Amino acid sequence: MGKQRGLLALILALVIGAVIVLAKVPPRLGLDLQGGSQLTVLVKPTEEIPEISERDLEAVTRVLENRVNGLGVAESVVQTTGEDQILVQLPGVSDPAQAEKVLGGTAQLEFRSQKQGTEAAFQAERLARQEIELQALIAEETGDAEAIAQAQESLKSSNEVIANFFDEGSLTGEYLKDAYATTGGAPGGSNWEVGLRFDGKGGELFADLTKGLAGTNRGLGIFLDDALISAPVVDVQFATTGITGGNAVINGNFDSREAANLAIQLRGGSLPLPVEVVETRTVGATLGRDSIQRSLYAGAAGLALVLVFMAIYYRLPGFIADISLIVYTLLTLASFALLGVTLTLPGIAGFILSIGMAVDANVLIFERTREELRAGKSLYRSVESGFYRAFGSILDSNVTTLIACAALFWKGTGFVKGFALTLAVGVLVSMFTAITCSRTLMFTAITIPDFKKKSLFAPGVETIAKS
Amino acid sequence: MALSLQISKQRKTWWLVSGVLTLVSIAAMAISLSQFNYPIRPGLDFIGGTRLQLERDCAQADCSAPINPSDVRAILSEQGLGDSSVQVTSTERQKNQGVSIRTANLDVEARTALEGKLSEAIGPFDLESTQNDTVGPVLGERILSSGLIALLIAFAGIVVYLSIRFKLDYAVLALVALFHDVFITVGVFAILGLVLGLEVNSLFIVALLTIVGFSVNDTVVIYDRIREMIKLSPDQPIDNIVDTAVNQTLGRSVNTTLTTTLPLIAIFLFGGITLKNFSLALIIGFLLGAYSSIFIASSLLGWWRSRSESLAPAGMAQELEDSSEVEDEAI
Repeated sequence: MGKQRGLLALILALVIGAVIVLAKVPPRLGLDLQGGSQLTVLVKPTEEIPEISERDLEAVTRVLENRVNGLGVAESVVQTTGEDQILVQLPGVSDPAQAEKVLGGTAQLEFRSQKQGTEAAFQAERLARQEIELQALIAEETGDAEAIAQAQESLKSSNEVIANFFDEGSLTGEYLKDAYATTGGAPGGSNWEVGLRFDGKGGELFADLTKGLAGTNRGLGIFLDDALISAPVVDVQFATTGITGGNAVINGNFDSREAANLAIQLRGGSLPLPVEVVETRTVGATLGRDSIQRSLYAGAAGLALVLVFMAIYYRLPGFIADISLIVYTLLTLASFALLGVTLTLPGIAGFILSIGMAVDANVLIFERTREELRAGKSLYRSVESGFYRAFGSILDSNVTTLIACAALFWKGTGFVKGFALTLAVGVLVSMFTAITCSRTLMFTAITIPDFKKKSLFAPGVETIAKS
Repeated sequence: MALSLQISKQRKTWWLVSGVLTLVSIAAMAISLSQFNYPIRPGLDFIGGTRLQLERDCAQADCSAPINPSDVRAILSEQGLGDSSVQVTSTERQKNQGVSIRTANLDVEARTALEGKLSEAIGPFDLESTQNDTVGPVLGERILSSGLIALLIAFAGIVVYLSIRFKLDYAVLALVALFHDVFITVGVFAILGLVLGLEVNSLFIVALLTIVGFSVNDTVVIYDRIREMIKLSPDQPIDNIVDTAVNQTLGRSVNTTLTTTLPLIAIFLFGGITLKNFSLALIIGFLLGAYSSIFIASSLLGWWRSRSESLAPAGMAQELEDSSEVEDEAI
């Protein structure tokens, strides 16, 4: 009985843990439940770039991130999916038209030279801008929508002011072949730089541009989608010829991350890869709340139906299966919270479905137990062999469900993955609750004399057990 | 068990039933194919398109009369979208104040223009209760093909697993039963598409995959029992073994299908429109799964084994000896 007691304690501890987790960790709701817009952007290959590499995709993603940040949506997510798709999630956005327009175009990278006589004003504006960026960051942290919008507005006007300090440039991203973070050939060095490599025509344009700027304090403005991302100055030594040969480095007080960041932004701007919004899905917040409400009803009704059925049909064992099922529900929901599973509508459906599947193992075991009882075995031996003999079938049936989940998870997109994950977690947790938990409770129950009646296990078998 | 099924004797009847269901499914799919170019009426997830679900904001709009679908159609034809479908919808809060419009794939400009016109004529709409989905045709094709690949992978994975756990012939016959379930489920939805205009979207493929994973369970349990009984009494005729195994596991088959179908019925009743068709597909598939396990998979195995027994009367006993996990009772 010591082993039984240990297991009981473990189950109790898990249940308490699960309740604490559920109380502390709020569930992560998908956009279809909390309301918002989800856009899928397809990056299209061109004749020059027939295949989109991981590096290209990362660069385009960074460009889109910049644009999405410009929209001022709290907790927006930009991530790659598959080989050439980027998923953009905008919680709380009910009209994605603006986002679609902003996301659609090819990135515009431009090198422009600073106008004469703007040095002081430019410095002042950059300082002011740092302050605004800080405000924007704070607003983003606190999630205050009004403050975010305000900060975005200030950033936008600051962008315009800064753009006015620069001439229109003729050197655009299409001449830039590559941009990369480097330590300037010093292995293990900490002086990070960003290397630029232009094509032939770009090299000439770049030499012209830098010749005019060398030795002055005016900056070479690098603009991505009309926002300044860097404004290095050109050393006086290039005053006669400009920076020739099509190669250049930008140095500053970069650490490796900053250098890599700038390089990716530059690469993104140099990609002539057209992007297209191929999917938008928008759900209003009210609709999302309705869905949550309906799912709660469906889940509660589903659970109740199963609980009632099990208790009526299987009597005492059914009641024990019901306790296990409630433990299952708590543990599974807590696992979702701990694993950071985002709950979507199909995901919830997967979970409700798994409630029905979770008792399958118990049905197998109890049917087996009844057969053994009818064959005249003692209660203890019947229960024991019910668990023992049903195990093979339980394993097989769960493995086949997991195979289907794996296929869904591997090949599925977005919310389909969510369904596969919730169902798979459910199946795994049910292996524990339906076998270990039910078994422990069952063996504890049959030590209680009042429960030692065969009729409580199988109707029609009335003899009192002796064990 | 009061109810006792004579599967092996009646197998021709059950095969006929399944054969007819399969033929009806093929016919429905063929008609769908000629009408929609797909064996089943495809939703916008697969062929692309735009769906707008709008609801009047009754705080600002005049909600005294229901939305008139012909007003909506007039605006749609004005915008050159005459062949779109329009449906007036209701919510718990208000009746006939919503409209669901399905058009060809609209880009952001066309969609904004349409929304503007609609809002002017019958709105304004409550942005918080709208839903709109646009799927480009390229992405639609991808969703469809990745879904079908997932389905094939699941089939293959299950055959491999069952061949390891059982024998190849068990695995192949279980697959036949499984294919039967999936095929007829698709057939039922082809009919629903033709009769009720029901469209399938990517959730339908998810449902099919779940059916694949779950339906095979019943078959596995029955096969498990058949194998166990062959080991216990190798001299019994296979048809008897099949009948006994089916009857012994019948309670379990029925109850498991019931416990999984009960929550699905709850989803069907209480879940939103998205989950309704999804749960319906699962209910149909699971019921078919139970039916095919009890009547088809078992009788196929009996037929196949007795056929090979009569071909090679000796040697069967050895072939069936791998059931290592079925050992004598412990304790």
